[in-house]
Amino acid sequence: MPTIPRLLRLSGTEVYNHTPDKNFLMIGERTNVAGSPRFRKLIQQDKLEEALEVARQQVENGANVIDICFDDGLIDGTAMMARFLDLIQAEPDIQAVPIMVDSSKWEIIEEGLKHLQGKGIVNSISLKEGEDAFRKNASHIMNYGAAVVVMAFDEQGQAATYDDKCRICKRAYDILVDEVGFPPQDIIFDPNILTVATGIEEHNNYALDFINATRWIKENLPYAKVSGGVSNISFSFRGNNAVREAMHSAFLYHATKAGMDMGIVNAGMLEVYDEIPKNLLTAVEDVLLNKDDGATERLLDLAEEFKGKGSKKIEEDLSWREDSVEKRLEYALLKGLDKFIEQDTEEALAKYKKPLSVIEGPLMDGMGIVGDLFGAGKMFLPQVVKSARVMKKSVAWLEPLMEVEREERILKLAAELQAADSELSDSDARIAAEKENSNGKVIMATVKGDVHDIGKNIVGVVLTCNGFDVVDMGVMVPCEKILEAVEEHNADVIGLSGLITPSLDEMITVAKQAEKRGFGKKSIPILIGGATTSAAHTAIKIAEYYSGPLVHVLDASRSVPVTTSLLSDENRDAFIAENEAKHEKHRKTFAGGSKKETISLEKARANKVQIDWEQYTPPVPEFTGTRIIKNQSLRELANYIDWTPFFHTWELRGVWNAETETLKTRNEEGAKVAKELYLEAKALLERIITEKKFIANGIYGFFPAQADGDDIILPEHNVTFHTLRQQQLKGTGKPNFALSDYVAPAGPDYLGGFVVGIHGADEWAEELRAVHNVDEAIMVQAIADRLAEAFAELLHHRARISWGIERPGQFTKTELIHEKYQGIRPAPGYPSQPDHTEKPALFSLLNAEKEIEVELTESCAMHPGSAVCGLYFSHPESHYFMIDSLQKDQVEDYAQRKGQTLDEAERWLGPWLGY
Amino acid sequence: MCRFQLARTQNKTHIPRAVPADLTAELKSALAKRIMVLDGAMGTTIRGYELTEADARGDRFKDNHEDLLNNGDILSISRPDVIADIHRRFYEAGSDICETNTFSGTVLAQSEFFVEDPRKSGGIKSPEFFQKEVVENQFLQDLVWELNVESVKLAKQEAAKVAEATGRQRYVAGAIGPLTVSLTNVVDPNDTAFRPVTFDQVKDTYAHQIEALLSADCDILMVETIFDSLNAKAALVAIKENGTKAPVIISAAVGRGGETMISAQKVEALWQTFAHVDPLAIGLNCSLGPDLMKPFLEDLSKVATTHVSCYPNAGLPNPLAPTGFDLEPQHMNEYTQEFADAGLLNLAGGCCGNTPEHVAAIAQAVEGKAPRVVPALEI
Repeated sequence: MPTIPRLLRLSGTEVYNHTPDKNFLMIGERTNVAGSPRFRKLIQQDKLEEALEVARQQVENGANVIDICFDDGLIDGTAMMARFLDLIQAEPDIQAVPIMVDSSKWEIIEEGLKHLQGKGIVNSISLKEGEDAFRKNASHIMNYGAAVVVMAFDEQGQAATYDDKCRICKRAYDILVDEVGFPPQDIIFDPNILTVATGIEEHNNYALDFINATRWIKENLPYAKVSGGVSNISFSFRGNNAVREAMHSAFLYHATKAGMDMGIVNAGMLEVYDEIPKNLLTAVEDVLLNKDDGATERLLDLAEEFKGKGSKKIEEDLSWREDSVEKRLEYALLKGLDKFIEQDTEEALAKYKKPLSVIEGPLMDGMGIVGDLFGAGKMFLPQVVKSARVMKKSVAWLEPLMEVEREERILKLAAELQAADSELSDSDARIAAEKENSNGKVIMATVKGDVHDIGKNIVGVVLTCNGFDVVDMGVMVPCEKILEAVEEHNADVIGLSGLITPSLDEMITVAKQAEKRGFGKKSIPILIGGATTSAAHTAIKIAEYYSGPLVHVLDASRSVPVTTSLLSDENRDAFIAENEAKHEKHRKTFAGGSKKETISLEKARANKVQIDWEQYTPPVPEFTGTRIIKNQSLRELANYIDWTPFFHTWELRGVWNAETETLKTRNEEGAKVAKELYLEAKALLERIITEKKFIANGIYGFFPAQADGDDIILPEHNVTFHTLRQQQLKGTGKPNFALSDYVAPAGPDYLGGFVVGIHGADEWAEELRAVHNVDEAIMVQAIADRLAEAFAELLHHRARISWGIERPGQFTKTELIHEKYQGIRPAPGYPSQPDHTEKPALFSLLNAEKEIEVELTESCAMHPGSAVCGLYFSHPESHYFMIDSLQKDQVEDYAQRKGQTLDEAERWLGPWLGY
Repeated sequence: MCRFQLARTQNKTHIPRAVPADLTAELKSALAKRIMVLDGAMGTTIRGYELTEADARGDRFKDNHEDLLNNGDILSISRPDVIADIHRRFYEAGSDICETNTFSGTVLAQSEFFVEDPRKSGGIKSPEFFQKEVVENQFLQDLVWELNVESVKLAKQEAAKVAEATGRQRYVAGAIGPLTVSLTNVVDPNDTAFRPVTFDQVKDTYAHQIEALLSADCDILMVETIFDSLNAKAALVAIKENGTKAPVIISAAVGRGGETMISAQKVEALWQTFAHVDPLAIGLNCSLGPDLMKPFLEDLSKVATTHVSCYPNAGLPNPLAPTGFDLEPQHMNEYTQEFADAGLLNLAGGCCGNTPEHVAAIAQAVEGKAPRVVPALEI
């Protein structure tokens, strides 16, 4: 049977295991009001944020456990212990480590235990008040689960000598282990470190008594640990840090050799043993080890020499301060550090000029990263709340400036309103202007029937921190109440939350009723969040009932960018369009997804496209092998551009008519914008052509081929292309398509392939972005994409002519765009063959990487980004179709054919799997 | 905040049960031989009965101002037939241990359905609110006591029937669930030390539930779906202070990073926090599907010197699936086999999304598989 070592094991949110390799457990003691005057002052003045910084610094400096003590006449110890430990729960770095609840008062200790989620240490209990109290307190501690420090103290007082120390510790150990049942590994003895070199002869052996008692305890009381307050040893040298540091260090050196496990040590008051000057070390060790009667005198004499020296300071790691202001803001947000936030915000304002640009720029970027990490499970709620607080501080600093801007805007708006309507009184104009200018107001509720709201509360906190006005209606809020509140508060955003499945239906109800009340027309956004909600469900089941923006918010950190975008004049439309596009995608996936009835691969193959190959002679291309086109004329490509998708890039829906040069859309404004955009694009395209900004290279070729089941083999090149077959249940006469159906099974037939790429666009766009010319960068890449598609179209045109299936000039440009011709050029990764891993075979067949420098990345993406590749099929019946709902039988078969594992195949085909 | 004592419900006299002193030993001996089977999701299974608001209210709560359909616990009173049927189905599917329908059986959790949220009238949830409106609310105390007692009775009655029919002993675990308030979570950004409830309030409401469960002779106490380790600590201190010898199972809900969902405690730290309770088992449940849960179960399995339990969700929430979750019985069967083969399991079941059919598949998966070997603490 495996065994687990009986170690002292402690926890905060993380563990601390006192394994043998950890020779010394560091207890941070700067958060003890008895030992740190600075901490005491901070607590007395209620400067708790700074007090927390003290705790954090200790963790950063390597403390394994932090000792927290509020034993001071001017502090309400019980209340402060509760409050301070609760504050620590909001500090992820600090609550990671176990905590030592330190007090001489039992009620403070018990209060401390009620605020520790992990297993900490109680410091301390003793036999001072007799065995009954000792037993009672120890069993209380056991109920909570904590280790305990036991002072070598009994009814008679403190143990000073070796004999007393051993006797009292043994007595306490026996009661704890045999009577109370306390785990021996969780018992830590403090056999009292007492001051030496006081001039009183009885004190001379105190260090040695401690060291020897430690050795005895470790040998005789199995698993028990030994601790002590180290700075006591050197009290007689107060004011002489060099000597004190040397004494601490030398004492620890000898005590740990005897088995001391941990101690309360100020790391800033500790010299490195090996760096203690030789003469000082000898004098110190003579005192500690009580070598002879003159040891104290000798150290006192020597001490004068070292006065005023020593005291090295432990520095915070401030290297992050050297980064750019954006990076510093990001760091502060990620770490939840607010120490420099105002200073950095000021610097960012100088750089970005407008407060809002700072918020929407570096601050939002930082929060975006927080959101990503949170989503990936690398940051946790308390950390996100911390980040939000730092954000709030920064925003708070910017607020007065925004207030000034706001006042200016309101005055201007009011003046404009009055100019437009002379009847308007000053106060009415101001009210109207203020309304136009208001910060976002968010109504939030957990929907009827659901009582879960911790997540929603977090969203509320985060939004409030970011300057939104949040009205939290609580849980189980009926639909009408929510909607009434929206009207009453004139809210800008509605947030609905729910954790349990039935809440999904209630959200639909709210969306329907909100639509009825006209909120959709007013375009009041509804945010959907909570554990069971999903982007897919929101898109598929809720969105159809609401005409306004309806957005699924994945988590609290996302709520800020989403709400900000929805309330920003500049970003709102783009955000809504993007959201709608996401919904559309989900709906498509769903519509094309699981609901369809499917059939086995065997049945699907039986229902393949029926072509009478006996009666059909495949066309023969005028050449086989490849042809390379380098530096293709860009002007010629421009004629092949299909502009419709170009406008989709800019969220302009409609169909482009190349002859009239207009976008056919119901939205007149959109058509106007499209026209302007087109003119801009044409101007840029002209510049690209004349200045040769891009280089277009392409390669295509034809190869003898024959179908082999669902594969297409190229016998002369030892290459196989694998295709996928539809498995939906089809109506009569409708085949289950696969691309291989269009190639003659027995040959002789031909398959074509091509790759084209536009070089130079990515680099240029990068340069433009570097100077913040983001719009033009997008334009450059959009045009490059169009040129790549145009190149593919041009090559296909040539290929069809080479293949003898089309005459030059047979079709007009528009007819070409509408694909009136014979044959197809399906691309791996697109609906007819969604598997990107078919690309490598094509690329190596054409030797495309070498010949035209279009490369495949590990994930089978093409570089440069504006590139197109595909296969050519010549059969007159060949057309594009959509593969989805793939069943396991086919994927297994496909993986086997490709030499992939099932896992690999499933990973690449994920979205198209129907099981 | 002054200490308070929840008034025990006096009119329900109960004779302290004669707990078979060897129940822990009996369970340990069974666990040494095989992987025991827990049950599945009460909520998911209830939804299969397509109950209405009227069902949940019954005659007794017909005038309640808040809706009760999603108060699953209330069904032990308003539709005991449904709850009994669910227990029966789980036991028949192979569960050795079923949890009582008392996930929200505390005055704090039930208050959400019976006490108006102070925020609706501009107030806040605070210790004062909970003290006055919830903790000292006699109606809630009586209702919660009754809920727990009736729920144990329903489970015991079905356990006995199925045990007799199959000749295999069945057990009832009193479910002690999380709360809608947290002792660690920050609710007010301007005062991060503010908590809406106190530790003592949480501990005493759990103590009340525990006493009710024990009074009706439930076999095991199960502190489960732990989001917040400090809330759970309050429940376990209450169990310790009760002095009961009933075996205890502790189970946490961790997120994708392996931390408790609210208090962010890692699983090994969690085990250390609760090792002193000497539970019959410690484990993970809810929040993740088996695949995402596995690494954290491995972490726990390495350090826990007691049995390890595991009842994950049936994958991730998928509002489009009939159970609301991704995985089907066969998937749970495969994962459970994989976990058993990896030597990770002593008790296995399912959480959200797992129906009796899922549990049958889980039971089948562990059939004949060797249980995880429990490491001993060095002597």
